[in-house]
Amino acid sequence: MKSRFLFVTIVLLCALVALNSSCNRGTQTADDKSKVHVGIVFDIGGKDDRSFNAAAWEGVKRAAKDLPIVLRDVEPGSPTNIEPAMRAFAERGYDLIIGVGFAQAPIMEVVAKDYPNINFAIVDGVSQLPNVASLVFKEHQGSYLVGMLAARTSKTGTLGFIGGMDIPLIHRFETGYEEGAKAVNPQIRVIQNFVGVNDSAWNNPGKGKELALSQIGRGADVIFTAAGNSGLGAFDAVEQAGRDEQGHARRFVIGVDSNQNGVKPGFVLTSMVKRVDNAVYNIAQDVVNHQFKGGFHVFGLETDGVGYSLDENNQTLIPPDVLKDVDAAKQKIIAGQIQVTDAMAK
Amino acid sequence: MKLLRELLFPLVAVAAAFVVGGIVVLLIGDDPIYTYKLLIGSALSWPDGIGRTLFYATPLIFTGLAVAVAFRCGLLNIGAEGQLYVAAFATAWVSIKLGGTVVDVFGTPVNYSWASLPAVLLVPLAILTAIVVGGAWGAIAGYLKAYFGAHEVITTIMLNFIAVALVSYFTQYHYKVPGDPILQTAPIGAAAHIPRLSAFIPGLPESIPLNVAFILALLACALVYVFLWRTKWGYEIRATGANPTAAEYGGISIRKQIVLAMAVSGGLAGMVGVNEVLGYHHRYYDSFSENYGFTGIAVALLGRNHPVGIIFSALLFGMLQRGAIPVDAFTEHVSKDLVQVLQAIVILFVAAEAAFRGSFGRFGLLKRSKV
Repeated sequence: MKSRFLFVTIVLLCALVALNSSCNRGTQTADDKSKVHVGIVFDIGGKDDRSFNAAAWEGVKRAAKDLPIVLRDVEPGSPTNIEPAMRAFAERGYDLIIGVGFAQAPIMEVVAKDYPNINFAIVDGVSQLPNVASLVFKEHQGSYLVGMLAARTSKTGTLGFIGGMDIPLIHRFETGYEEGAKAVNPQIRVIQNFVGVNDSAWNNPGKGKELALSQIGRGADVIFTAAGNSGLGAFDAVEQAGRDEQGHARRFVIGVDSNQNGVKPGFVLTSMVKRVDNAVYNIAQDVVNHQFKGGFHVFGLETDGVGYSLDENNQTLIPPDVLKDVDAAKQKIIAGQIQVTDAMAK
Repeated sequence: MKLLRELLFPLVAVAAAFVVGGIVVLLIGDDPIYTYKLLIGSALSWPDGIGRTLFYATPLIFTGLAVAVAFRCGLLNIGAEGQLYVAAFATAWVSIKLGGTVVDVFGTPVNYSWASLPAVLLVPLAILTAIVVGGAWGAIAGYLKAYFGAHEVITTIMLNFIAVALVSYFTQYHYKVPGDPILQTAPIGAAAHIPRLSAFIPGLPESIPLNVAFILALLACALVYVFLWRTKWGYEIRATGANPTAAEYGGISIRKQIVLAMAVSGGLAGMVGVNEVLGYHHRYYDSFSENYGFTGIAVALLGRNHPVGIIFSALLFGMLQRGAIPVDAFTEHVSKDLVQVLQAIVILFVAAEAAFRGSFGRFGLLKRSKV
């Protein structure tokens, strides 16, 4: 008897739920056809990585606030979902589809060919199609500056670098960083490690922490991460190294892509910011104003597309004379007097 | 009447999953009817929805069959994931080596192949490779079980890790085109490509990756049925699964049956490589599998380890996979993980069948039947 009673209760409950939901239709946001429709497909790390994807998410959210835009997003979570996600937007006639991360470039090429009238933008990737905007950054320039900061801060003469996936794009961060550090101190040693060789390398904070601890064990006292979500493990590692008697951190980490200074205040020397947010904001604005252009959109030091972050969390960590030298180097890079090696230019 | 009884619980499980899923959607703050419309509507729209639903169902039919064959022998094959990875890589390897692959590396053509076979030879060879390599990988676990008593659940899980790491290693350090930021091998030779069904079905756009492997999957269902219920080997496998002691007493070598069942199971899982490599990416693409091997367990469970049931449950899971992304994109709060919730509830209800049978049995709705 008891089970029949339970069954009836469940059925009634379901009916109630169905009734309730059908009355709720008003809450669904109406699809306003006059607005520009923007769909964004994130990388494997997801939009809450507080780094690369978070910057892109910040940019489109700002665009949705300022401009007449309907914004939809997908976190694919696995590489097989990227193409269906792009097509889901394309099939519904979206005006702009943004792909975050180099891994989406070949997939976007295929989809963009099928939909020549839709605008596409790929962050960190390159495509030759006329309806795809390639949003690329001069990461080596920004990395050079944080390399200088790291070398000026280091007491041990050893620096660390933790890359996410072992690919040319991340080597671009590494070579720039090393060159900047060597410009300050030619004897300095840079230990480099990569989290892995496939997509999961961006989303493995545990491994990131292990690598950071091992680098600290080998004497590194400033560690630059370019590893998406995995980099957050290095933040834990430097916090674990603790503070000295004066309350200063013993080891520092340098954040990447977003301003990560506030993630572990006092332990983050600076962040190599990559203004992915500005890049996606601008491209959305271009579409709204009917000024979309395919091809390369390059963001370097001269347009503040890359740089290092300075805020209340780290201004006491960097002395003014160091800042002056770094800014002088920045001007020289912009003027072309310092050439930073681009690991991807072959 | 027997058929009705077999159908009842899977159907109840699916219906219950949707009801519970609807409550979850409501609690998250979206409209369940709108969400389900999105989910099912995008999965059944012609041609994109249906085309992709069938494409997603293809690997699940193979892995569902793989799990079912092992299950009929009393084995739980959790290693379909690893089996399909090694098979997919091996298929790509053969299709590169014998497919005349030449890749342009920074302006200079690099030859990756030994020979350039015509399609008539290369395609059957590549398919055979998928079956043999997947089967061999499965047979390892079968052999360890039969001759050393190592439990197949443990060994297949471990072999999964080995398989994934092994093919990642070969891809990264030996078969990746230099400068390629994505972990994938060089492309396979054009002769190894199998045609997409868009070539035969008017109205199906070429962008839908549904390919001949789907036909092969249906064929595999028929073959598995014949194998299990119409051949001596199938009978011996089922006898071993039903009662190993009695089977042995009847003169069946249980050890051989275990190895055979795992080999057939692995071969079926390996066929996923045909769909993926020859039909879709035309190269080995690292971590391509959307947990096909594990979802295959659920597909087999819901399909009652019968080829016909597996087709239907694979279609259901294919639909869910197709609908997941639109649900993620076009609802306010619901993410694509809703689909996993639905899958989990289906499995839960199917697995709880025994308990249901007990309580409903008293009302005469269901008599306890042998599974």
